[in-house]
Amino acid sequence: MSQVTDQEVVEATQELGGAEPSSSIIGRTPWQIFWTRFRRDKVALAATGFLVLLAIAAISAPLIADLVGHGPNDLYRETLDEIGLPTVGPSAEFYFGVDTSGRDVFVRTIYGARTSLTVALLATGIAVVLGTILGSLAGFHGRWVDTLISRSMDLVLSLPVLLFSIGIAATCSITAEGCLGGLIEPGVSLVTGIIALFTWPYIGRIVRGQVLTIRNKEFIESARSVGAGSGRILFRDVLPNLAAPIIVYGTLIIPSNILFEAALSFLSVGIPPDTPSWGRMLSDAANGQLYTVAWWMLFFPGMALVLTTLAFNLVGDGLRDALDPRTQVQG
Amino acid sequence: MKKHLMLVALVSALALVAASCGGDEEGGETGPTGPTAETGAGVTQGGVVREELTDFGFTGAFDPTGEYLGTAWSWYQQMLIRGLLMYPGVAGEEGNVPVPDLATDLGQVSADGLTVTFTLKDGVMFGPPVDREITSQDIAFAFQRINTESLVAQYGNYYCGTIVGMTCDAKSQDEPIEGIETPDDKTIVFTLERPTGDLLYRLAQPATYAMPPEVAGCFDKAGDYGRFLISSGPYMFMGSEDLDITSCDTMKPIEGWDPDSHMYLVRNPNYDAATDDVRDANFDGWTLTINTNLEDSYNKLLNGELDLLHGAPPAAILQQYLTNPDLQDNFKSEEGDRTWYLTMNLLVPPFDDIHVRKAANFVVDKAAMLQSTGGPSSGLIATTIEPPSVLPDLADYDPYASPNHAGDVEAAKAEMQQSRYDEDGDGVCDDPACDNVLMVNRNYEPWTEYTPILQENFAEIGINLKVRELEVGTSYTTIQTMNNLVPIAANAGWGKDYGSPYGFDFFLFNTAGLSCEGSVNYSNVGITEDVAKECGDNVVDAYNAAVEANGEIPNVDADMEACVATPLGPEYNACWAALDQKLMEEIVPWVPYRWGAANIALGDTVENYTFDQSAGLIAYSKIGVNNGLTIEEVTGTA
Repeated sequence: MSQVTDQEVVEATQELGGAEPSSSIIGRTPWQIFWTRFRRDKVALAATGFLVLLAIAAISAPLIADLVGHGPNDLYRETLDEIGLPTVGPSAEFYFGVDTSGRDVFVRTIYGARTSLTVALLATGIAVVLGTILGSLAGFHGRWVDTLISRSMDLVLSLPVLLFSIGIAATCSITAEGCLGGLIEPGVSLVTGIIALFTWPYIGRIVRGQVLTIRNKEFIESARSVGAGSGRILFRDVLPNLAAPIIVYGTLIIPSNILFEAALSFLSVGIPPDTPSWGRMLSDAANGQLYTVAWWMLFFPGMALVLTTLAFNLVGDGLRDALDPRTQVQG
Repeated sequence: MKKHLMLVALVSALALVAASCGGDEEGGETGPTGPTAETGAGVTQGGVVREELTDFGFTGAFDPTGEYLGTAWSWYQQMLIRGLLMYPGVAGEEGNVPVPDLATDLGQVSADGLTVTFTLKDGVMFGPPVDREITSQDIAFAFQRINTESLVAQYGNYYCGTIVGMTCDAKSQDEPIEGIETPDDKTIVFTLERPTGDLLYRLAQPATYAMPPEVAGCFDKAGDYGRFLISSGPYMFMGSEDLDITSCDTMKPIEGWDPDSHMYLVRNPNYDAATDDVRDANFDGWTLTINTNLEDSYNKLLNGELDLLHGAPPAAILQQYLTNPDLQDNFKSEEGDRTWYLTMNLLVPPFDDIHVRKAANFVVDKAAMLQSTGGPSSGLIATTIEPPSVLPDLADYDPYASPNHAGDVEAAKAEMQQSRYDEDGDGVCDDPACDNVLMVNRNYEPWTEYTPILQENFAEIGINLKVRELEVGTSYTTIQTMNNLVPIAANAGWGKDYGSPYGFDFFLFNTAGLSCEGSVNYSNVGITEDVAKECGDNVVDAYNAAVEANGEIPNVDADMEACVATPLGPEYNACWAALDQKLMEEIVPWVPYRWGAANIALGDTVENYTFDQSAGLIAYSKIGVNNGLTIEEVTGTA
């Protein structure tokens, strides 16, 4: 209803007895328009390719570990010197060298991608769903619903994120079951939950603002005038118009969440020590200036983090350009 | 007099034994050495020792009555305040044996061992602004403060229950103690509840040092006196002379110490070296500054902006000290009289079974843990509870020996086979109790390096450790809270209070160390149903299940009582050695893995390096510094 395609315009024109459109005009779906624009952005395409490869590597991590012959937590202590410093850098045996426990940095970097992508994608997904639902309700209903939800967002945004995260992780770490009867347990689920909790208000605010704009548009008034209910208007008319900003913002928030996860892992909050994570690997490298004697401990997980966040940002930019009708497309 | 002579003889004998056994296994140093080691007579006078620390870490705000931090004890004793007895500030066993300070000798003990009399030296003065001679009443007042409930003497247990009338629950610090008499200004007499073999050690602890009632008496809350500490040693807080003691209300904290940033010491003008047989007091001032960036502190030391640092350096810097010939002599690794260990909970499966605990002792790769900590410079591999510097009798004792201390998986499996958690008898736990076993650890190195080692080791016998790495304070409170029922923890270490076995391990395994919150007997050795009931239903359930499966929880209180009542000497040590062996073989609450070293890094300016064994720090009273600086130059107050 709200997204009027070129094809619909052509059909409507014909129904109204308008002139036969020129055969040179080809109707295109929004997806076609998006893809036409996106594929012209070579940088975004390359970034997408990188992320696809990264995802494949992450999914195949156990297979890669088998091929390399080193598990992510296998200890090769013979690669350490008397005081526990790694003596094996990048080599044919250990592509990215070993860390201070004698573990294979290459395999752990691959496994770290699993952690980063899992946490970031899950947390972003939860945040997008929560932010969209609550932002829509706030913007569409206004009044006390808006007040309640908006103040809730303010409240969440005012919480000290790291202190809160450390507090939850510490509180839930004193028993094997975690806390709240095992509902919250330190690990990937807790970190995902914390990140989602602190991320949804950002999306919620954007959605609320968009809804506030859309709900006053003529086509919403039209829908109301023909008797459409609030639910139908919200789901059939409002939400489809939010798809583009949500996709763009969701994509751009993924790298933030990857860094968020890395920061929490850097502080040893949440992710279990036997689960490889880039943040934790960077923390290990920074500890005691280890990077001065084992640069590979910092370089490889650091590069993985940088390239991944960069790639998500580039893809996000590409999506925004492709989805925004105001963007001028060359050619 | 006869008893007095016996005590002196025993202490001397101990020192001789110590001297004969003093050779370090790992290259630690036992005499005056250092970048510019010299005899005491040739040490440069003057200069300022500049030091940094990441955190003061005081437990009692530097009030001697309550302060429990070993570092603070060193500063009190070596530089700031004086008591009847002290430690001589040297390395090895000799450094753990008390010597007279304010007292003219080691005291006179009555024939029944229940009365001990000390005479004070003449001419020892309090520093400014008190400016008067120290009397026996000042010593008695220190004990009155220990006895005062509100002042929270953290090791008051050494005196309360030992000295007649001391109960540690007095309502006022003005209340005299029945068992402490001061017949004149130079005499103090202690009456004891029972003969106490290591009384001299207890009287060398800083909480007992002289305190002027006219100042300390103004502070009746724990820790408050710390910022007003009146000197009786060779140094005092910078600005002490400006403290207005005309009334309690006029006193403002002395400027030389700010708990957030620094502690500056200058010479005490009232100090008379002729009254002091121990302290050389070579330097003019000492500055300690807080710097949370450890790497920065070491860079300053290497650049000559500091004179010394205590503690283990970051790994990369440690490598420099160990491999650079120009720096090797500047790095010291001494016996730290500290044991690092895994503690296992006797109430919680699978560690409620002694065979599992023994299997744990066999399976842990202690060599890998030492390597992860920085290798031999970080200490020795521990084979029992008490470090050899505290209890030399067990220096060669290793009930869970393994090749190169790398763990003996077969021996561990043989123990596991005997446990009820290995039904098929293959030496690997096959009970659900071995899945997701919570292990508490610290969240920074080297502890985080232990995690993969321990997970791999315990997996060999079928125990899947679920490790929670926590901030150090949280890790301690987690295992100290009994109803958390933490099965195993790797975060804990224990250093001696004083160089007697009693001072080392009494509370770790005595029921006196049990409490629902703040327990230090983490393994719950000797716990009874009554104690369990106080701490929660889950503790009662765990207790009942453990008793049903294994019988009564073993208790060593009586063994300890017998050792405490034994006079100092070979029998005393033998008693504690037997107890140590009983703990290691019949109870097995720990996996001791490292006897920690004390690391000290020196600048080229330090002279006459000497290690103070009692404190585990440099002997401030012996060293000199040739940087030619003044306190004004260092603190920017010129």
